[in-house]
Amino acid sequence: MAENPDLTFEPMADDDVLVARMRASYRMLPAPSVAQIERCTRGVLASVAAGATEGSVAGAHGTSGTQGTRRSGGLLLRPQWWWGVAAAATLVVTVMRPWRGAETQRNADSAFAAGTAAALPVGSIRDEGDGEIRFDLTLPTAARAVAIVGDFNGWDETKTPMAKRGADGTWSVRVPLSPGRYSYAFVVDGREWLVDARAPQVPDAGFGPANAVIVDGAE
Amino acid sequence: MTDAELVVRTRTGDPEAFGTLVSRYYDACWRFAYHMLGERADAEDVVQESFLRAYLAIARYDERDQFRGWLFRILTNQCRNALTSRGRRTRRFVQDDIALETAPAAPPGPATGMEDAALVRALAQLDPAQREALLLKYAEGLEYSEMSAMTGAGESALKMRVKRGSERLRVLLGRSLEDPPFGSSGEPSA
Repeated sequence: MAENPDLTFEPMADDDVLVARMRASYRMLPAPSVAQIERCTRGVLASVAAGATEGSVAGAHGTSGTQGTRRSGGLLLRPQWWWGVAAAATLVVTVMRPWRGAETQRNADSAFAAGTAAALPVGSIRDEGDGEIRFDLTLPTAARAVAIVGDFNGWDETKTPMAKRGADGTWSVRVPLSPGRYSYAFVVDGREWLVDARAPQVPDAGFGPANAVIVDGAE
Repeated sequence: MTDAELVVRTRTGDPEAFGTLVSRYYDACWRFAYHMLGERADAEDVVQESFLRAYLAIARYDERDQFRGWLFRILTNQCRNALTSRGRRTRRFVQDDIALETAPAAPPGPATGMEDAALVRALAQLDPAQREALLLKYAEGLEYSEMSAMTGAGESALKMRVKRGSERLRVLLGRSLEDPPFGSSGEPSA
């Protein structure tokens, strides 16, 4: 289709309806499962361990699902790569301990179920109604500094520090957020990364720090 | 830990750092790829291949860029390639090229049954470049300058793709746009 580079763009009046509908469709998809994310990570590491290079990937490129190769978790693997896959699987099991995230989540769930939430860091979010979301985090132990990181600040722990409120170990910050979907986490004393166990969705507790997801932002 | 720090650790061969990057961006990549391709399995394939390419090219990543933008640049290329590949495979089995050119896009497979299926179907019938521009602009909320850096297309061209794509989308959605399945807030109606 020919595109006129000089034509002025005038947004149509009902563009906001399309925007709302697209964002709603994004939001209606559930967060990917832990297994889905782990499968992706393992697939990449297995391919790298098996000697995948940019050239070999480019060679396989555009042939997804075609003959001559075998799919593993959606990725193309040549038969001679399976030794590498076995080595990578060993690496994953011994070093990355993929069950660790599930254990963390189970521990958190059981603690909340037993009514001992006060013993755990407790986060909460509240729509302030003015385009801002307030994030609170109550910590059972003293902390020198707490920050929030997420999609909205480039995961930079220096950008959005939280302020301590009162003496009960609660830290707060208000973040201006346009409607959308954001992953976030709390960082305590610049080193301890905490998931908000009471967030609406906690999709990815499989590898390293987990993130919670806030859906909608200030909408 | 910031993306830049995770990238540095990934470059030294730290699999946990790479796993954190995947868990941080998988969600956004998958949503975009699903709406581009209309198929859950295809979206998973493309996202995984994008992360593999990112891993292999991470030595060339410039820390002055946003990691998300760099990753999406790879992802949009992979989505285009998947669509091209899908077209080639389809053409191989279609005898009548004219019928292929005039046939509407195949209805996409469901992801979960919860998404806006009418919108996903309508998106699948758009020109892929228009679909890409609409999603980057409307769903991802990017500025045209960011989209231009990501796609390599000029800003004016991208504005035209958004304009024409949204016009076509309105036609395809028809009455359902006037009476969407969700309210203007995007929440399901009671």
